[in-house]
Amino acid sequence: MNTLLIILVVVAILLIPVFIVIGLYNSLVKLRNRYKNAFAQIDVQLKRRYDLIPNLVETAKSYMTHERETLEAVIQARNSAASARESAQGHEGEAEVMLALASAENQVSSGLGRFFALSESYPELRSNENMLQLQEELTSTESKVAFARQSYNDAVMNFNNRVESFPANLLANAFGFPQASSFEVSSDDERDPVKVSF
Amino acid sequence: MDFFEQQDQARKKTKWLVLYFGLGIAGTIVATYSVIAATRFYIVSSDYDLQRQLPVSLFDLELFLPTAAVVGLLILLASGYKMLQLQGGGRVVAQELGGREIAHGSRDRHERRLLNVVEEMSIASGVPVPSVYVMDGEDGINAFAAGRTTSDAVIGVTRGCMQKLTRDELQGVIAHEFSHILNGDMRLNMRLMGWLFGILFIALIGEMCFRLALRARWIGNDRSGAAAALVMLAAGAGVWLVGSLGGFFANLIKAAVSREREYLADASAVQFTRNPDGIGGALLRIGGHKRGSQVGAPMARDASHLFFGAAFQGPSLLPTLPCPYG
Repeated sequence: MNTLLIILVVVAILLIPVFIVIGLYNSLVKLRNRYKNAFAQIDVQLKRRYDLIPNLVETAKSYMTHERETLEAVIQARNSAASARESAQGHEGEAEVMLALASAENQVSSGLGRFFALSESYPELRSNENMLQLQEELTSTESKVAFARQSYNDAVMNFNNRVESFPANLLANAFGFPQASSFEVSSDDERDPVKVSF
Repeated sequence: MDFFEQQDQARKKTKWLVLYFGLGIAGTIVATYSVIAATRFYIVSSDYDLQRQLPVSLFDLELFLPTAAVVGLLILLASGYKMLQLQGGGRVVAQELGGREIAHGSRDRHERRLLNVVEEMSIASGVPVPSVYVMDGEDGINAFAAGRTTSDAVIGVTRGCMQKLTRDELQGVIAHEFSHILNGDMRLNMRLMGWLFGILFIALIGEMCFRLALRARWIGNDRSGAAAALVMLAAGAGVWLVGSLGGFFANLIKAAVSREREYLADASAVQFTRNPDGIGGALLRIGGHKRGSQVGAPMARDASHLFFGAAFQGPSLLPTLPCPYG
């Protein structure tokens, strides 16, 4: 009777760390899924953004005949950003991928900024209903990307806090939970919107 | 003060105000008991000669408990009834206010922009995308949120709000409404309105007693009947006074809660958009607009507490909304 009790107590004590590890593992999975889901929100908006840009250029082409270079630069930036987005699939949170995506996204933003600044001098284009709608959609996806980025970065911070804090830090590597990277806008020209004066 | 601090302060103040509201209900119960006890004391003491010990004291637990139970139950039932009445989800409110739901595929430029801004704020606040209603007949700049939970919430805006604000300003207004949804303000408001109705119901009962006694006094001929009617008259008036006073203070507190929630919503709007100029610009534009934030729909008076800007012009003793210039 007594020995049975002792065995039970010993087993219980041995089980405690096992339960702690299980709990830690599960919480890491939960936090990782949360930031992955947050990234999916950004991804949806990026995809929409990259789908809209060819339409925009197509609409503008017949009006902005003298701005071939700018239009091509926009398309170029859009294409490389779209492929950066493609290669980011399944690798969300990895530092290199996030950096590539951020810089490609910056290219697109500055290209679009230049495009809209130039389009101011084409009044016919400015009054084109299709163009106005595309501009509204692009403005909206841009701010959706910005808000989704905030929540993604918050989720990444929560995950990293967990991964770095004791005792999770002892296990995170062994279980394959590297730190995640936030999605930062690095270049200055997106932080300060382009000022246009006439 | 940053916006998080402002939010904390508004939340803390709301808690205190809700506590005061509870105290108000307790006060109503005690005051009603006092009226009843005083009435009984008067009846009993008029039958006894003053030399003998009176068989009742002013504080009597056996009278207090049933009084408290009955009054409490009455308040509870009346407020439950009122809440049931108010319970129609956000859609019902929006339709009663003359709103038209904007279809998802709308091609109209302003409607498209509004839907986009709502989606943006939904991402920023983490609240599911609500249905959006526009009040086509309203030229003033105003907006409201209605519904009990985040899943049945709707946002409604006037046509003026949809068309006359800049994108950033519209974003600020919509973010403000999202804060109401996220913080459960509609539910809080409904509860307060229910309790208020419960307290006013006590006043109604007092008034009924008073009227009954008044009629009985004219009909009754014999002396004792007239005396009883007089006592009832006084008791009815007392209960009516207690209920009315309670209602008055409850109304004051409700207005104060409402104001705090508006401050909270403005602070949250800044948090969601990270752009204080949006909501600020919208408030200033309302000030400069000739129709201001007026709403003409007949139902709007009942729903004035839902609105972003004051739906009616003219001075009010109990403004539920903070003044934009204050």
